Amino acid sequence: MNEIKLIDGHIFNSNPTEDALLFDALLLLNPELPGQIIWQKKTHAAIQQYSRKKLRAEIEAVHQQLFNVTEHQSFKQRILSLFSKQ
Amino acid sequence: MAKYISKMGGTFDEAKDIFQDALVIYYEKTVTTAFELHSNEQAYLLGISKHLWAKKFRGNINHTPLDDNQMDFVEEDDLQPSTNKLMHYLETAGQKCMEMLKAFYYDNLSANKITELFGYSGVRSATVQKYKCMEKVRETIKQRSLAYEDFVE
Repeated sequence: MNEIKLIDGHIFNSNPTEDALLFDALLLLNPELPGQIIWQKKTHAAIQQYSRKKLRAEIEAVHQQLFNVTEHQSFKQRILSLFSKQ
Repeated sequence: MAKYISKMGGTFDEAKDIFQDALVIYYEKTVTTAFELHSNEQAYLLGISKHLWAKKFRGNINHTPLDDNQMDFVEEDDLQPSTNKLMHYLETAGQKCMEMLKAFYYDNLSANKITELFGYSGVRSATVQKYKCMEKVRETIKQRSLAYEDFVE
């Protein structure tokens, strides 16, 4: 758990000085640590990708509601009319 | 925004994609603590949309005055090519952890809020769970990426 926290601090440049020094020492002592940093960065990329997908799904749900619910028909027509003149 | 994309010759679907991407960027900016909005939301969204339009369909961003540092819509290519399989796995088997990690790292919610939302007994146990999840997901990504690589080779 501590290793994860230190790697996060390293990735986000948020480790306090003493932790940054400790991390530098660990990098010299633990040959597996550079690899773990790479995997943790990939994990952050996966979290971002997962989260964006979820957010896009929420936005799409709002879009569907705006464009498919009867009470928003005038809005829908106003937007579609912008593209029908092309 | 739709008027602008239409004027530029874009379709409804293109306008929709651009607007949704702009909303994602706007959300990501608002949850980071350093972000301060200097114009109104509509103007900001229009600015992002114009920039995205120029970037995606014109290949020319010279006419858009938006700062580049507002446009760091992070590329999602930092994963292995087999991301779809991996993402599917994380969305199903690892969903509980992913939701928690999303709350911490993407939504940038406070530990107190996460403790409340996920029903943990206290901030300490929420934080411990966060690191456990991080370790679990990291190991999953590592194992699966290596396995997919073997499969591809």
